[in-house]
Amino acid sequence: MPKHKPKRGAPTIDMTAMTDVAFLLLTFFMLTAKMKPSESVVVDTPSSISDTKLPDAGTLTLLVSKEGAVHLDMVGQHTRKYLIENVDTAYKLNLTPEQKVRFANGTGFGVSREKLKQFLSTEDNAVKEALQKNGIPIDTADINKSELADWIHRARLAQFEMKKQDIVKEEYVIVIKADRSTPYPAVQKVINTLVDINVNKFNLITNTEAKPGAEKE
Amino acid sequence: MAEMQVADSGGGKKGGKVRAKKMSTRIDFTPMVDLGFLLITFFMLTTTLAKPQIMALVMPEKDIDKTDLEPVKESKVLTLMLGKDDKVYWYEGITDAKLDSTDFSAEGLRKVILNKMDKVEQQFGLEDYKKKNKEGVEEDLKGSFVNVIIKPTKESTYKNLVDALDEMAITKVRYYVILDVSKLEEDFIKNPAGGLKFSAEEQAEATTK
Repeated sequence: MPKHKPKRGAPTIDMTAMTDVAFLLLTFFMLTAKMKPSESVVVDTPSSISDTKLPDAGTLTLLVSKEGAVHLDMVGQHTRKYLIENVDTAYKLNLTPEQKVRFANGTGFGVSREKLKQFLSTEDNAVKEALQKNGIPIDTADINKSELADWIHRARLAQFEMKKQDIVKEEYVIVIKADRSTPYPAVQKVINTLVDINVNKFNLITNTEAKPGAEKE
Repeated sequence: MAEMQVADSGGGKKGGKVRAKKMSTRIDFTPMVDLGFLLITFFMLTTTLAKPQIMALVMPEKDIDKTDLEPVKESKVLTLMLGKDDKVYWYEGITDAKLDSTDFSAEGLRKVILNKMDKVEQQFGLEDYKKKNKEGVEEDLKGSFVNVIIKPTKESTYKNLVDALDEMAITKVRYYVILDVSKLEEDFIKNPAGGLKFSAEEQAEATTK
């Protein structure tokens, strides 16, 4: 019997197990992933101890930026499509079908009605940002002239219609998402608009914060 | 790197037939693993595992029939005015109100509210507020002792409002409302002596704090 010669050359490592783990994790993350929704304005929300979760569907979000510009965002392609059709006919904006599709597939927006066409026809983010600088105009003196109130009203109608047609099942909720450092008057304007159109119940989006425990009492 | 292609010396064939070089059947998995981890990283960073929380807020109706309202005892009312730089100005009742200020820390606003609750409890002896619920567990209804009015001023931020509402949730205050700050109260903050019936000592106290 010849002696067993020690094998020369590089040692081999079996990568199979590692690959298995890597792909298992990959599959997990891919399946559980829900993309961070891109928002038209960056908002850093304050935190609270509330533990109610934001529902997935049927939300109408009013974003209030640091500067106080109000943006509107709603979930649901069908609802958005209905909404833009409605607004287009009501105000004769003469939007093209492509622009409507862009609105339906888009996210939040913060432009005045007259600039909406321009907003929907551009892809340039810098232009979009410039158009959205002031957000949706709010008229606190006359609610009938307030564009924000009109948008919310029509968005609710759209959601109601979608529910009636059984396209959307969820009840909608109205949420306000404002930045920590948003000055209160800007938020107040939004709240007053909601109260004016008889929306007295709404929600504020917050981050989670630990509940103060036994320190109390 | 897992599998190095080592040049096969083939045991050093001595002038034999030239055989086709035997290729290793192993596949180098390294690029695949790299790609796998790259994608994992991507998905980990883009996922939102934690959904944001919501805090319900109910505002009073605009056109409310004021004759149907039940009056509130003045001594149960605590007014908080959210001011500049995360400050909270507060006073109790209306007549002979003393303006005081605090902050949003656990020792600040929370103490003020809890103290007010204790005060109301002492004054009214609200024993019956401790009721048993359906399951027979004694519920702490201390939160219904006070009526808190939150008045954010123009200088306050949204964070202040949420913090104040959060404090209501922590101390379980059941009756609270958000109102606009009045001109009188703005003056009251600026000049505590002018507005709501202040004596000289109280003014000194309020301004030094």
